[in-house]
Amino acid sequence: MKLLYILGSIVLLSLVVIYYKFNPEVYNFFPECPFHKYLHLDCPGCGSQRAIHALLHLNVQKAMGYNLLLVLSLPLLAVQLFSKAYAYFTNQNTVLGFWYNPNTPKIIFVIVMLFWIARNLPYTPFSYLAA
Amino acid sequence: MEDQKPQEQAPFGQPPFGQQPFGQQSFGNPAPKNWLVESILVTLFCCLPFGIAGIVNAANVNSKHAAGDYAGAQAASAAAGKWTKIGFFVGIGVGVLYILFFVVLGLGGAMMGNYR
Repeated sequence: MKLLYILGSIVLLSLVVIYYKFNPEVYNFFPECPFHKYLHLDCPGCGSQRAIHALLHLNVQKAMGYNLLLVLSLPLLAVQLFSKAYAYFTNQNTVLGFWYNPNTPKIIFVIVMLFWIARNLPYTPFSYLAA
Repeated sequence: MEDQKPQEQAPFGQPPFGQQPFGQQSFGNPAPKNWLVESILVTLFCCLPFGIAGIVNAANVNSKHAAGDYAGAQAASAAAGKWTKIGFFVGIGVGVLYILFFVVLGLGGAMMGNYR
């Protein structure tokens, strides 16, 4: 398990370096989403690579333009990461009760679906959500 | 791992039977892993709608556990884990295939701009 964590950290760190150094908009060796490639529609994750590149350069506004959902989910994921790290280092079995509230997944599901539909609408207020 | 939790928590409270609060999480039976965070990550990064299936199953885990249906919650947990893992590995697979395809086609293109 510890080996897995170390390997994961190495992979994550090298990904961070790659996404910092290369702009996915300019270099074409980054994998393209199959959903976007064949259906020509944006999925909820489209724009993530460019958003990460922008975030690593501390350009939050640009990142929001690529994938708003990713940027909005970051605080939530940061809280989860902190809680996991806390549980790991204090050897406690703490779980955020928030994730186990019956309403949480439903709200997240609705947000993701609305985002998915909205970013594919070709009208002005929604087209800002497109990747 | 989930099986050990009731025993670990036994000294802190009542035995797990006979006190199932309605609409609340019971302390005797901790909710099975609902894979919600993992499925959100798959939805955002693996670019495939498998994460959505994970989120739906996470919703099932939480609502069934809140209703006291522990077996149903465990089944939903297994389904959520299955879909999240499928999404994760398909995402990684697509990425690796893409990179391999790229290497096979020739590294010459690697530094070329994207002309779209």
